[in-house]
Amino acid sequence: MDTVLASPDPDALTRRLAELIAAGRMGVARPMLAALQRLGPPSPRLAELAALLAMREGRLDDAHAALDTALTAHPGHAALHRRRAEVRHRTGDLAGAALDAADSVVLDPSDTSGKAILGVLMTELGRAADGVRCLREAVAAAPRDPAYRQGLADAQAANGELDAAADTLAAGIGLAPESQELRNAAVLLAVRRHRFDDALMIAEAARRDGMADACLFGLKGHALSKLGRDQEAGEAYKEALKLGPDDPYVRHLVASSGWLPEASTAPPDYVRAVFDSYADRFDAHLISLGYRVPGVVRGALMRHAALPEDGRLGPVLDLGCGTGLIAVAIADLPVGPMIGVDLSPRMLARAEAKQLYAALHEAEITAFLDTDETEYPLIIAADVFCYFGAIEALMAAVSRRLQPGGLFIASFEELAAGPETERGWALGGRGRYAHTAGHVATSAATCGLTVLAMDEEQIRNEAAAPVLGRLAVLQRPRDAH
Amino acid sequence: MLIEPDNLDHAEALATLRAACAGGDRSPATLLNLAIAQDRNGEGERARRLMSELAVLLPDWDEPKLRLAESLRQAGRAAEAERAYDAVLEVNPRREEALVARAALLIQLGDADTAQKLLLRCIGINPQRAEAWDALGLALMLNGDAGTAESAFSEAQRWAPAVLSYALHRVEAAHAAGQLPGETARLELAADADPLDPVLFTALGLARERLGRRAESIDALETACALAPAAPIPAMMLARLLAHASRLREADAALRRACDLNPGNASLCNDRAAVLMRLHRHAAARALLDTLPPEAQSVTGVLCNLATVLVSLGEQEQGEITARRAIALDPASLLARRTLVNALPYRSGVSGAEMLAAVQDCAACLPARPEPAFTNSRDPGRKLRIGLLSGSLRTHPVGWLTVAGFEALDPTQFDLICLAQATGSDAIARRYRARAAEWHEVDGLDDVALATLARERSVDVLIDLGGYGELGRLIACAQRLAPVQVKWVGMQTHSTGLPEIDWFLSDKWETPSGLEQFYSERILRLPHGYVCYSPPAYAPDVGGLPAVENGFVSFGCFNNLAKITPEVMVAWAEILRRVPGSILVLKTYQFSEPEPSARVRDAFARLGIAGERSELRGASSHRQFMAEYNQIDVLLDPFPYSGGLTTCEALWMGVPTVTLPGETFASRHSTSHLSNIGLADWVAPDLPAYIELAVARSADLVALATLRSGLRERMKASPLCDAPRFGRDLGVALRHAWAEWCSRADGEVRSAPLLP
Repeated sequence: MDTVLASPDPDALTRRLAELIAAGRMGVARPMLAALQRLGPPSPRLAELAALLAMREGRLDDAHAALDTALTAHPGHAALHRRRAEVRHRTGDLAGAALDAADSVVLDPSDTSGKAILGVLMTELGRAADGVRCLREAVAAAPRDPAYRQGLADAQAANGELDAAADTLAAGIGLAPESQELRNAAVLLAVRRHRFDDALMIAEAARRDGMADACLFGLKGHALSKLGRDQEAGEAYKEALKLGPDDPYVRHLVASSGWLPEASTAPPDYVRAVFDSYADRFDAHLISLGYRVPGVVRGALMRHAALPEDGRLGPVLDLGCGTGLIAVAIADLPVGPMIGVDLSPRMLARAEAKQLYAALHEAEITAFLDTDETEYPLIIAADVFCYFGAIEALMAAVSRRLQPGGLFIASFEELAAGPETERGWALGGRGRYAHTAGHVATSAATCGLTVLAMDEEQIRNEAAAPVLGRLAVLQRPRDAH
Repeated sequence: MLIEPDNLDHAEALATLRAACAGGDRSPATLLNLAIAQDRNGEGERARRLMSELAVLLPDWDEPKLRLAESLRQAGRAAEAERAYDAVLEVNPRREEALVARAALLIQLGDADTAQKLLLRCIGINPQRAEAWDALGLALMLNGDAGTAESAFSEAQRWAPAVLSYALHRVEAAHAAGQLPGETARLELAADADPLDPVLFTALGLARERLGRRAESIDALETACALAPAAPIPAMMLARLLAHASRLREADAALRRACDLNPGNASLCNDRAAVLMRLHRHAAARALLDTLPPEAQSVTGVLCNLATVLVSLGEQEQGEITARRAIALDPASLLARRTLVNALPYRSGVSGAEMLAAVQDCAACLPARPEPAFTNSRDPGRKLRIGLLSGSLRTHPVGWLTVAGFEALDPTQFDLICLAQATGSDAIARRYRARAAEWHEVDGLDDVALATLARERSVDVLIDLGGYGELGRLIACAQRLAPVQVKWVGMQTHSTGLPEIDWFLSDKWETPSGLEQFYSERILRLPHGYVCYSPPAYAPDVGGLPAVENGFVSFGCFNNLAKITPEVMVAWAEILRRVPGSILVLKTYQFSEPEPSARVRDAFARLGIAGERSELRGASSHRQFMAEYNQIDVLLDPFPYSGGLTTCEALWMGVPTVTLPGETFASRHSTSHLSNIGLADWVAPDLPAYIELAVARSADLVALATLRSGLRERMKASPLCDAPRFGRDLGVALRHAWAEWCSRADGEVRSAPLLP
C-alpha cells in the first residue's frame, strides 16, 4: 500500500524556505511556510522569513504585522528589527525605519547589514554625513559588497562629496569587477556630473570586461550623444535595445535619442519603473537639482486664486503628486483637502508619509480623470506635461473636472518655436517632452479654458544651468457648463 | 493469531513455528501460520500444499482458502487464484478481501461489470473499505464512467487519506471526466487547510501537470517531497517533471534522490543518464548506464541513450551500431529511429542518400492522423501569421542564428506567433518576445493540443526550429499545424524526411544544385546565406595573431567532441606533422570530464603526436570561450559534421576555418558562412586539399594577420550579419512558399518551381 505520511524535518525545511524565498520561488515557499507554522511554535526566524516572503510579494502590511507580533514576543531580536526597518523604509516611514535600524545595530553591533540600512536611512533623512559614517563602517566590514558600496557612494554624493563617491565606486569595481550595478552607478554618477568622457571610459571598460547590460549601453549612448558622437551613440543605443528589448526605460531612452519612432506619451510602465526606483531619493534629488516648481505654484496660487478668509479652497487635485512636494509647499495656505494621484506606489508611500493628503490614488492620470466624478476648484499638474507629448486629451479631461471658475495650474518645459515644432511638442534628449507656449494656449482654448497667465519660470537647474519653462494658470469660465 | 504482513522477520517466524510444530503443536492456526511463513520465506509450493491440506481438512474455514488464493495471486497464477477466491466466497460470501481481490482479477480481464457487482457487495458489507471503493473506481473507469469513478475514488480517499494512489486515481478520473479545474481548485483549498499533507500536494502536482501548469506542478511536488522526504513516488514524479521542464540541475539532484528511494528502477536510472547528457556530463552518463544489469541494458530506451552517449564521446561508429541494435529490437520505435537520425550526421563518410533513408524511415514511424483541411484565406499578398515552433527561442544556437532575422522581418507583413518551450528570460528570449505578436507556452501541451492551438491561432506558415531534437515537436508537425510548413535552424542536420514539411530553408552553398535529391522537402534557397548571426555584446575585442608572438602556429577546433571522428584526428595529426612546432587546441565541454580527455590524448599518441602538441580544454563561460580564440591562428573544421555557430563565432573573433564539405546539410555550414563573407577559398574540395590548405594558410602569417585584423568589420558588413537585408530575403522566401500554397486548388499537391 503506497501510504505517504508527513515526516518533515523542521530545520531542513526552514533552511529550504530561506533558499526558496531568495530564489523567488514563492509557489513552494508559501505552502512550506504554512507547513512550518503548523509544525511548531512561532519562532523569530520563522517570523522573519514570513515577513520576507510577504515583502517579496508586495504585502507590506502583512510583513509589518508579522514583525510587530514577533517583536512583541522577542523585543531584543536584532534581525527582526532590521527586517522591520526594511519594511518601514518601503512604506515610506523613514523615521520609524531609522529607529529599527538603530535598534538592530545596538543589539548586534557586529551586524554589517544593519549599519548599511541605517546609513541609507540617515542619508534619506537628510543626515548624509551620518549616513556616510554608517556606510563607511559597512563597507570596511564587507568591502566587496556592491550594495554597500553603492549606498556609500549615494550618501557621499548627497553629502556633496562627489569625488569621494566616484572613488568609492571605482574601488568597488576593482574589488567586485563582476558587479553590473557598480559599473552602472559609476557611469550614471559621471553622467550626472556631466563628465561624459569619464562616463564613456567607465562604460567602455565595462564592455571590454564583458558586461552586457541594456542600461550600461543606454548610458554609454547618452554620454556619446552628449559628446556629439551621434553615430556611435546610435550603435550603443541599438545594442542597448538588443539587450533590453522589453525594458521601457531603455526604449524610452532610445526613443528620446531619435533612434526609435516616437511615441506620443511615455509608457506608463516607464513612468512607474523610473519613479519607483527613484522614489527614495526623489525629494533630495529634485531639490539638489534646484527644483523650483512647488514654490512657483505656491506663488501663482497666492496671485490668482481667490483664497478664502476662513475655510479652505478645495478639494484640490494634485496630478502626478509624486512624493508630495506640492502639498508641502502649500501646506500653510487655506487650501484642501488634498487629493493626490500618481502611477508609482513607492512615490505614493512617500507622499502618504507626509500626512498632508486626504486621499492618494495609484492611477494613470487621464484614466483617473475619466472615472472621477468630483468637481474641483483647483487642479495642479506640476511636472506632468513632460510625460505627455500631445496634451489635448489631458487638458480636456481636466477641464471636465473643474468647477466653473476653477483653476488649473500646470508647469511645462518650454520648447522654442521653430519649423520642426509645428505640432507644438517634442521629445527632448533627457526623455522628457517639451511644449511650445502656443501649443499649451491653443489646447487650453480648445477645451474652453481661459489663460490667466503663462509666465516664464526657471523650473530647475541642470548641471548648474537653469532649465526654462512656464507656469500656465488656466481658468474654466464661471458661466461654463 | 495469524501473521499480518511485514510484522515479523520471516525466517525467525518460520523457525519459531517449526519449533512449535516439532513440539507437538498441530493446531490449525499454528499450521496455517507455518504455511504463511513458508510462503513469505520463498517456499511457495510447500506453503500452498499445506494451505490446501488445511482447506480440505476444515472445509468451512475460509482463512486457508483465502491465504491460498493470495499466494497464487502473488505467484502470478491468475487463473488458479480466481478459482481459489471463488472457493473462499462459496464458504463465506461476505469475505471482504476475497471480494476485492476477485474483482481486481476481473478488472484485469476487462470484465468491469462483474467486478462492480462484487465490489458493491463488499461496500454494502463494509462501506469504509477504501480499497473496494478504489477498485470500484477503476472498474467504472474501464466502463468509461469517469464521473462516477471520481466519486468512488473520493470515497476511497475519505477512508484512507494517506494512500497516495487513491488521490492520484481521483485526479485521473477528474481529468477523464473533464472536471480537472474543479478538482484542482478543491486540492488547492484542501492543501491550504492542511499544509502538512504530502498526499494532497502530490495529487495537486499531478492535477496541475495534466492542466499544462508545469511550473506550479513542480512547486506542489517539491512541497510534497519536503513534507515526506522518504516517499518514493513524489520523488519520482518531481524528478521526471523537472527533466521535462529542462530544469536540469534540479532534475539531476531529484533523480539521484528518486533513484535512492526506488532502488533497482532501471528506467529512473536511464532518465538520470539522459539528464546527465543534457548537462554535458557524458562520461558520467555512460558510467551510470554501465551499472545497469545486462537485461536492463538491452531495453530500447537505454540503448538509445547509450547510442547518444557514445556519439557524444566521439565513438560515432559504436553509437550508430547501438542505435541500429535499438531499431532491430523494436523496429516501430520512433525513439530508436530518431536516435539513429541524430547519430548518423556525425559518422565518418555518411552520404546524402544514407541520411535521406534514415530520416524517411524515422518519419514513417510518426503516427499519421487525418488532418482536417485548412480554412486560412488563400490571399497571396495579405499579412501572414508565421508560427515559430521551438524549445530554443533563447540564448542557444537557434537564438544566435535566427533572432536578428526574425526581428528584421517587416512587421506590417508578418506577425510572429511563437509556440515556445523552455524559454526562460535571457536577453535573446526577450528579443523574441518583443517581436512576437503572440506568445504561447506549449511545454505542457501534447501533440494533439499543440496542433489544435496552432490551427486555432490560424498560423499560415509554420517554421520548425526543433527537428528531431530533445525538445523537437516534429510528431506534431506530422499532423500539420499550418498549411505551409518549413524546416529551419534547430537540429537542422539534414532533411526531415517528413512529407508534411513542405520546404527546407537553405542557400546555394548549403544545398547546391545536385544535392536536392537528398531532401524530401523542396529547397527554399535564400540568396545570401541561410542564417543571420547576432554576435553577443560581451564578445572580447579581436587580438593580434598569436603565431607572431609565439613563434609557432596554434591550430584549433572548439567544436563538440561528437564531431571529432577518428578520420578527423588522422587528418589533424598529418597537419601537425607537416607544420613543425605547431600545436592543436581542442576545446569542448566533454573535456571537463577526465575520461574523454584521456581517450583523445591516447588516440593522438597512437598517431605519433607528442602530448605537448595537443591541448584539451573543458567548458568555460561563453565569453571566456570566445576570448580563447585570441590564442588561435587557424581553425580546423571537423567533418562530416562541420561547425555552424562555432564557425560564426570564430569569424567574429577574427579566426578563419579550413573546412571540408560533404553531401549532408550538417557538413556544409562552414562552407555557407565562409562563402557568405567572401572566404570561399577556405573551402577544400577533398581531404588532401583540406590538409594542404591548412598547411599553406598557416605558413603565410602576414596574410593571416591582415585577414584577422579586418575580419570583424568585414563580417559586420557582410550578409552574414546584415539583418535588414536578411529580413527582406526571408520575407520574400516565406511569401513565395505561401503564394505557392495559395495557387493550389484545395488539397492538390504539386511541385513548384524552385526559388531562383
